[in-house]
Amino acid sequence: MRISGSRLLALDQEQAYQALQDPSVLERCMPGCRSLVQVGEDTYAMKMKMALASISGLFDGKVRIADRNFPHSFRLLVEGSGRIGFLKGEGLLQLTAESGGTSIGYEGEVRVGGTISAVGQRLLDTTSKMMIKRFFDKLAETLTSPQK
Amino acid sequence: MIPQEFNYSRPGTVQEAVDLLADGEAKVLAGGMSLIPLMKLRLSAPEHVVDLGRIPDLSQIRENGGSLHLGALLTHHQVATSALVQEKCPLIAETAAHIGDAQVRNMGTLGGSAAHADPAADYPAALCALDAKVRLVRKDSERVVDIGDFFVDALTTAVEPDEIITELILPVEEAGTGVSYQKLRQPASGFAIVGVAARVRREGGRIAMARVGVTGLAASAYRATGVEALLEGSEGSQADVAKASAAVDDGIEAISDLHASSDYRRHVARVYTARAIQAAL
Repeated sequence: MRISGSRLLALDQEQAYQALQDPSVLERCMPGCRSLVQVGEDTYAMKMKMALASISGLFDGKVRIADRNFPHSFRLLVEGSGRIGFLKGEGLLQLTAESGGTSIGYEGEVRVGGTISAVGQRLLDTTSKMMIKRFFDKLAETLTSPQK
Repeated sequence: MIPQEFNYSRPGTVQEAVDLLADGEAKVLAGGMSLIPLMKLRLSAPEHVVDLGRIPDLSQIRENGGSLHLGALLTHHQVATSALVQEKCPLIAETAAHIGDAQVRNMGTLGGSAAHADPAADYPAALCALDAKVRLVRKDSERVVDIGDFFVDALTTAVEPDEIITELILPVEEAGTGVSYQKLRQPASGFAIVGVAARVRREGGRIAMARVGVTGLAASAYRATGVEALLEGSEGSQADVAKASAAVDDGIEAISDLHASSDYRRHVARVYTARAIQAAL
């Protein structure tokens, strides 16, 4: 499944770039993320609980950041698995300065497998968009409110 | 498959039910048409299930002033075949008759469908077109939520974990109002690829009131206010309807899945909006 879109954040480009790679920020903003711990250079172990209506499951995963090109772009590689399925995704994030902030463009490919994809195919696209929206909403809220 | 072990409670009254839900940890079971399959696949593993199926108060149909109060536990079949509902609020009865198959209509419930908020469910289109209100009850309080604030996103509603839906409040249709629900049905599941519910009333040769609810196109059902605004005040000619229907996806991010791409969904939505309005006129 291909995922792409963009979102404007009211931050300057360098701040936005740093925030998107700050594990403590990501931990707070990724929907369902329970913990994000650095395990190696640019590699983090992640535990998340996905909960969507009646569907819920724990995922163990890994997040890796690659191809850093400060403050323009980087690549994000995510993989996770749990009892209800697995997911593997890779995306390129590109930041461009715009009036009023920084536009964050994302483009990538996500593969979902296991029970969740066998029976939830119809809802995968909708729910992944929803997760991305929640992430950016939370990010905007966290970063643009004072004292954060 | 067999669900994971869980505790099961079967309260006999609404008060008992909300007491059991007060800690916010239990999952509500109504008709079980969505929850039970998810539990059997172990996509959902609640530790405590509170079955509302034996609370008689929740299956009542009552007319009060200009409103029709439908209990949340009414099955789709009961809503579709009730003479009172057919007379006072024909749109919800017509929509109920389109849901799933006979087995689902005999088990699935109005409140359960609303609470699950599947983006392709039929009821939400009608509930939006009807400006329905939802009564939510928790241990020590209750509130009534407008449908526009009720559907938040795909599979997400304003219902909190310690609340249950007790009833949906719908307007009694004024004389002269025509209604219709038109859907493109996904043949295997019976879900709507796109479904459009319309209510239209003419006065003195012009359309005085138009309400259009859409399901299947966006992550959650919505009222197509752009279509309504173009219709109201017009004569309702074929050209007026076509022009108004083209606005159904304005500002909407259309969903895409293995059954239908977003472009195809947009097209179907315009066609079915025109059909629903024509049928209602």
